[in-house]
Amino acid sequence: MSARNTRGGTEMSQMISDYLPFIRPPMSRFVTERGNPVYGVMAEYETTPDVFHAAEKIRDAGYKRWDVHAPFPIHGIEHAMGHPKTKLPYIVFVIAMCGALGAWALQYWITAVDYPGFTVQGKPFDAWEPFTMIIFELGVLSAAFASLFGMLMLNGLPRWHHPLFGSERFLESSQGKLLIVIEANDPAFDPEETRRLLEETGGREIVLIEDED
Amino acid sequence: MIRITSDYDPTVTVQPAPAVHGVGPEMTDDQYEQYLAKLAANEDLKGENVRLPAGAGAGLSRGLLALGIVLLALTLFGAFVHTPAHALASFEVGVFTVLACCLGSLFHVMLFQALNAYWPVTIRRQLENAAGLIWLPLLGMVVVVCIELFSSVTAGHGVLFRWLDAGAHESHLLEHKGGYLNLGFLLFRFVIYAVLWLFLARSMVSMSREQDATGDRMLTAAMRRRGTLGLLIFALSVAFASFDFLMSLDYRFFSTMWGVYFFAGAALSGVALCAVVCSVLRLTGRLTNVVGDEHFHDLGKLLFAFGACFWAYIAFSQYFLIWYGNLPEETAYFVYRKSGGWEYVSMLLVVAHFVVPFFLLITRKTKRNVLLLGLLGAYVLATEILDMIWIIRPMAGVRDPSISPVSWWLDVVAIGGVLAVFAGFLIREIGSAPLIPMKDPRLQKCLEHKNYV
Repeated sequence: MSARNTRGGTEMSQMISDYLPFIRPPMSRFVTERGNPVYGVMAEYETTPDVFHAAEKIRDAGYKRWDVHAPFPIHGIEHAMGHPKTKLPYIVFVIAMCGALGAWALQYWITAVDYPGFTVQGKPFDAWEPFTMIIFELGVLSAAFASLFGMLMLNGLPRWHHPLFGSERFLESSQGKLLIVIEANDPAFDPEETRRLLEETGGREIVLIEDED
Repeated sequence: MIRITSDYDPTVTVQPAPAVHGVGPEMTDDQYEQYLAKLAANEDLKGENVRLPAGAGAGLSRGLLALGIVLLALTLFGAFVHTPAHALASFEVGVFTVLACCLGSLFHVMLFQALNAYWPVTIRRQLENAAGLIWLPLLGMVVVVCIELFSSVTAGHGVLFRWLDAGAHESHLLEHKGGYLNLGFLLFRFVIYAVLWLFLARSMVSMSREQDATGDRMLTAAMRRRGTLGLLIFALSVAFASFDFLMSLDYRFFSTMWGVYFFAGAALSGVALCAVVCSVLRLTGRLTNVVGDEHFHDLGKLLFAFGACFWAYIAFSQYFLIWYGNLPEETAYFVYRKSGGWEYVSMLLVVAHFVVPFFLLITRKTKRNVLLLGLLGAYVLATEILDMIWIIRPMAGVRDPSISPVSWWLDVVAIGGVLAVFAGFLIREIGSAPLIPMKDPRLQKCLEHKNYV
């Protein structure tokens, strides 16, 4: 399933094809003359303020699928990039409530419906008190799992490979390079326009990233 | 631009390091002078933004005090018209709610000082104002003790304290507890609680106000030491005070969770009161850019933690162990509150005190909204009153089963009276000093505070 998600299409179909290799991912919007799908374009920036202001301009140009790569955290870059707030809390809330409800249903069905008569200290079979611990515990457990795995899924992880790993220059971003990569899947992506935008914002060494399948 | 310079400069000289005090941001005295000058130049920290004009709220304060005195006079009247037990129980609901507010505020002041916390600096003065009023509920408790004492001496039985009854010593259980539950020892303990709380509250408030005038940053270190020691004193004294005045209403009952239960109520009342006061101040145009959304967000987190989660955790833990253990002297407490109409109050308490605030406060939006958080603070305070009613009021019915629903107006006037007096004094207290600690070494950091999540 190496990097099949680079062939464009909607967010959801990409996520599915990421996780299920036998489902054919949607076709890429652009190919090179060699027939390789285009992942995106990458530009290099000199200083942190440069990349910060470039991010603001790219955000204002309406791009959605792009990223800034830096070897250190840049405070406030999420605002410069116009990141929307994460949907993770809503996912966690729904799953946690389902977990808690499931825990209640499980215990209620066992002690009050399927096998009533297992008397403990003369307490009622359907007493809610002893259920509470397990309701709480399963609620917390499902919330924890939902946060971890939801976070990984929203980030498109885990994955075997990423097209950017094919670029030697990208690998240097962990040692001091400041990079911006705009994906070809972005609806606003246009080979010429995007390249010009990156140049205007001060990007240098602009290269096309191919996805060599 | 990222550059690494490693040039060797032969002109550099080596000097002894300047004296740095480990208070707040570590600074030399010169730097601290510059810091104070920077604060003095801040437009947000000037004039009416951080200080109520002279006489502001004086009319409201006087009105509330007058209202409170009228209502308390009505309570006294009700005690003679109906039963003293009912009037005293309702009065105690008010007193212990106010005590919870003051103790909770004192707890948070000491906690923030002990942890050297910087984000609550601008809200700390409102907590100090409430903590400084600890004498008011203590005065209420003096009234309670005097009434019980008077009743015990003249009539031979307590009003709500059944363990004061002359004939109660026929009870084998009380015979065993008599070494602790007797009037002399209660008075002795009460004096100790009063002295400790007054000392802690007064020292935290006066040192903070002294710093406003002098700018002496060593006071912050002194407050940190005092707060840390105070937390230890606070934990024991609050637990035992709650045993003496609330748990002993039914002398058969015992719960090792009780001290924590009362503490949970106190901690949430302190935060809730602070949220209400800060919200009112913000909505009337004060503290702009001083107590911002970020501070309200953190205040909301505390309100969520104490007002919903911690209280529910403690209350359920106490109930659950007693329910499972099924010992008669323990279960009587809950059996009584699950019958005779009190079962509806019990259910309301669970829903109103846990479910509603939990789901309302879990989102980021309510915590960052000044008006909503103020309303929720008032709501959480109301649930604390309900909790106190649930703890204290049933005992009036145990004492005197003849209490009729007609006399419910007594609850309203007694609780309302105590709260009105407290509110009147609190408004006066807020106006008597700047609304924030003006020269706290952590103030600048607090103004720049930001939540990244």
